[in-house]
Amino acid sequence: MLDNQSGEFSELNDDMAVQEVCANGLSMKTSEVEAKLDEGNIQEAESSLREGLSLNFEEARALLGRLEYQRGNVEGALRVFDGIDLQAAIQRLQPSLTEKPPSRRNRSRTESLNIASQHAASLVLEAIYLKAKSLQMLGRATEAAQECRSVLDAVERIFQHGIPDVLVDNKLQETVSKAVELLPELWKQAGHYQEAMSAYRRALLSQWNLDNECCARIQKNFAIFLLYSGVEAGPPSLAVQIDGSYVPRNNLEEAILLLMILLRKFYLGKTIWDPSVMEHFTFALSLCGQTSILARQIEEILPGIFHRCDRWNTLALCYSGAGQNESALNLLRKSLHNHEKPDDLLALLLAARICSEDSLLALEGVGYAQRAIANAQGVNEHLKGVGLHMLGRCLGKQAKVASSDFERSHLQSEALKSLDAAIAFECDNPDLIFDLGLQYAEHRNSHPALRCAKQFIDATGGSILKGWRLLALVLSAQQRYSEAEVVTDAALDETAKWEQGPLLRMKAQLKISQSLPMDAIGTYRFLLALVQAQRKSFGPLRSGIPQVEDDKVSEFEVWQDLANLYASLSHWRDAEVCLEKARSLRQYSAATLHSEGFMNEGRGQIQEALAAYSNGLLLDLSYVPSRVFMGALLRKMGPKALPVARSFLSDALRLEPTNRAAWYHLGMIHKDDGRIADACDCFQAASMLEEADPIESFSSIL
Amino acid sequence: MSESEIPETTGNEPESSSGSSTNSKIQSAIESLISIVDNIPPSLSSSENPATSLLHDPDLARKISSHLRQPNSGAGDNHLCRWLYDTFQSSDPTLQLVVLRFLPIIAGVYLSRVVLRVPLAGFEAVLLAIYAHETTSRGGQALTVNVPDLSHSSIYHETKVTTKNNATGINLAIFSPSLEPHGTVRSTKRARIVGVALELYYSKISHMPIGSKMDFCEFCVAWAGQDGDMYKDDQKDPSEQSKPQRKHGEDKGGRRIPLPWELLQPALRVLGHCLMGPNDSKELKEAASAASRSLYARALHDVNPQAILATGSLLRLGKLAMADSTDKTDPTEIPDLNNPIITI
Repeated sequence: MLDNQSGEFSELNDDMAVQEVCANGLSMKTSEVEAKLDEGNIQEAESSLREGLSLNFEEARALLGRLEYQRGNVEGALRVFDGIDLQAAIQRLQPSLTEKPPSRRNRSRTESLNIASQHAASLVLEAIYLKAKSLQMLGRATEAAQECRSVLDAVERIFQHGIPDVLVDNKLQETVSKAVELLPELWKQAGHYQEAMSAYRRALLSQWNLDNECCARIQKNFAIFLLYSGVEAGPPSLAVQIDGSYVPRNNLEEAILLLMILLRKFYLGKTIWDPSVMEHFTFALSLCGQTSILARQIEEILPGIFHRCDRWNTLALCYSGAGQNESALNLLRKSLHNHEKPDDLLALLLAARICSEDSLLALEGVGYAQRAIANAQGVNEHLKGVGLHMLGRCLGKQAKVASSDFERSHLQSEALKSLDAAIAFECDNPDLIFDLGLQYAEHRNSHPALRCAKQFIDATGGSILKGWRLLALVLSAQQRYSEAEVVTDAALDETAKWEQGPLLRMKAQLKISQSLPMDAIGTYRFLLALVQAQRKSFGPLRSGIPQVEDDKVSEFEVWQDLANLYASLSHWRDAEVCLEKARSLRQYSAATLHSEGFMNEGRGQIQEALAAYSNGLLLDLSYVPSRVFMGALLRKMGPKALPVARSFLSDALRLEPTNRAAWYHLGMIHKDDGRIADACDCFQAASMLEEADPIESFSSIL
Repeated sequence: MSESEIPETTGNEPESSSGSSTNSKIQSAIESLISIVDNIPPSLSSSENPATSLLHDPDLARKISSHLRQPNSGAGDNHLCRWLYDTFQSSDPTLQLVVLRFLPIIAGVYLSRVVLRVPLAGFEAVLLAIYAHETTSRGGQALTVNVPDLSHSSIYHETKVTTKNNATGINLAIFSPSLEPHGTVRSTKRARIVGVALELYYSKISHMPIGSKMDFCEFCVAWAGQDGDMYKDDQKDPSEQSKPQRKHGEDKGGRRIPLPWELLQPALRVLGHCLMGPNDSKELKEAASAASRSLYARALHDVNPQAILATGSLLRLGKLAMADSTDKTDPTEIPDLNNPIITI
């Protein structure tokens, strides 16, 4: 073994074939000592060291142990260390309790005393540390942790008042740093997780004078432990809490804080970049749903670490996850530019998805989706179906702003075609089935729409509200109101109280369609109570979070609906009250002005009605009902107003081609003008639409 | 959709009469289990620590698991479900751990089977009991995370100077929304109920045996409904090669399910533990890697940015950890290990 080792060393250091031990200006060849150790004679080895290097008992033993440890003979090292009473040695090194902290006058005396004990302390502490390491290697983690802890305890006791800077010898600092770092790892290995937590905190919250890299390693390991161990650490002790400073209350907060500090340390050049820190941070923050904070951190990362396209794409994911799709799309446009990475599939799909939610961006989205389909090859072939899905969504959205009938129907059938093609790749994707059903429904093709809606509810086990709503709407479009109500009731059964708002509203509208206004009013009352209770019972905690607010009916909408209902029954006073309530919640709204106009019209105040409608249109140019009513009202004002009326109705139809009231009034204008054939076409359209008109537009589900 | 009736507590009378004595509770739980599951190792009741054996005995776990995976296992009159329900309701913490040990299979089989319109009231009763337990212990409150901001001084800041900095507001995130009591599983609340049960599972995960976590990883792959093998690193070792075939060969009844955030988030936490937590099981880490690959593929199919970020980072962390374990220098080792001169 000895030969072996010296062979190894001669490889490492050509000119140094023999190991040496030096102390007190003397030196000895280790081979002499090792030979004695190999014979199992610890005492002799020790005495030869003591004589050869003029050491005391503990020093000699500590040195022997280290020799054994270095040779890889862990059990031997342990035997040697066991022979010294390390605790007694520490006791001797401690300042006695009566000893006062050094005053200025006798400082030099204490210091010299300290220097004397310094070497001894360093040696003894290293011995204990190596004992802990030996125990760890032998798999006795708990004992190792106890030994390691005693190193730290000893340091705290021996140097109660800190170690004067001039005296810190490298060796001592090294041992202390290593012990600080090793202790929590040992507790982890031993399965004592709470001990590990407090060891980490002790390491980071006490002053150990650790170097940056060591401190960063401990912080990172602690953050990982907090994030993934599943053991709650509890808040840190009150002793370390400083007034006004941030104190983490749970694991996640503490982990995020540590990771932020680590990232900051890197930005300041104190540590080297560790990619895993960013990944842990990403994981933690996306679990919290705080991707906008993540985005801020990613923006802080210095250039040269990530490729700029990767950074843009990650940022886009963050912003899109935080609901800021516009910023996300701007970043994706940069990264998908011809000179950057135009074929990045993830970026293409995300861009297409974002565009598919806005009809004005849909055309751009079609381009992204087509590029995604073309690039879904090799490893990414499985994403081809996703590309087709996004293409279908974008085309369907684009159809909404098509400038001509021909273009619209072309786009709609293209959308259906690509959604159908996507189904071939992803037959078990309920979202795809839903989009297909919605597309059919928008296309007024209610049978396949019904099939898809049912299929969606089956595939999701009825767990997603929009499936129920689509089914009820499609049924209502087929004029099957009572069945639609059955579906709505079933959906209400499957929904918790707070999420029932949209369903109750739908139910009320179904009642209206069945000419049951009093039932509808009852349902609206119930809905109103729910909405108001909701507002009161959830403090800022709940209502402040956008993801919870997603599908809620607002109180404003309920009052608005009620006002319309009362007005249609000519209950002017009730309508007025409801409208007033609605106005108090939202002062400027096209819908409120529209209802006002409708009431004026009903009471024969034509000029006021016109004023209200046109004010409504000034607030929202695309508000279709006001356009239709304006057109209808102008038609009644005589032949001179007919062209104006007609343009209002045409505009309304351009915005909403399936508005049957607009078709009807347009037909009346044609009739008044004597264009009977045109009138016929319009009436036909109106009557066909009436047979396929849902109680609420299909896009209200999204 | 299927309504769940809460099974009455039968067959456990001795437990209520014997007061809070933990041992008798455990004994009676074991006795009633013997009548349900055949060939229970006899050592169980005679072992010194029967609760630990209930939790850790691999043979018993295999038997109960295969019972739970049987085609009609989740019905309201299923004896094993009733046993799990009663055992959880015994409010003995160790026995509750035993029930939680099987949560991955219960949740996995339940969510995969719920679209088949088969009776699942037995599973639902167990899940509701776990949900109710968590609701009570949290007092229905939401779990929030106050995301730190480094411009505020904190306990880990190097300079301990308190700065009165109110310029930046706090970022309060709802980690898990407030909990309402549920007597039945309404279909739109299903994912939330299972998600909350997983949150409880996560908080006890350090007590769970590896087998339970392996079950969970396996169901994650099934739930994702995507094969993530294309995100594997190219350098495969031959032992890994054979795994996918095995996975496809035995269909354990899992299927693709909707993965809303309320379910995915707690699942990812559990997965994070399996991948990065303090354990040395290579088998578990590989299963967790496979699960994170599948969920990443699924997140891409859903084009869900938040899920892509979270699963993507798990995926890369798994790869980094694998690469790390090959070349590791131990910073706690004494540096001059090979230095031939020792100087004091």
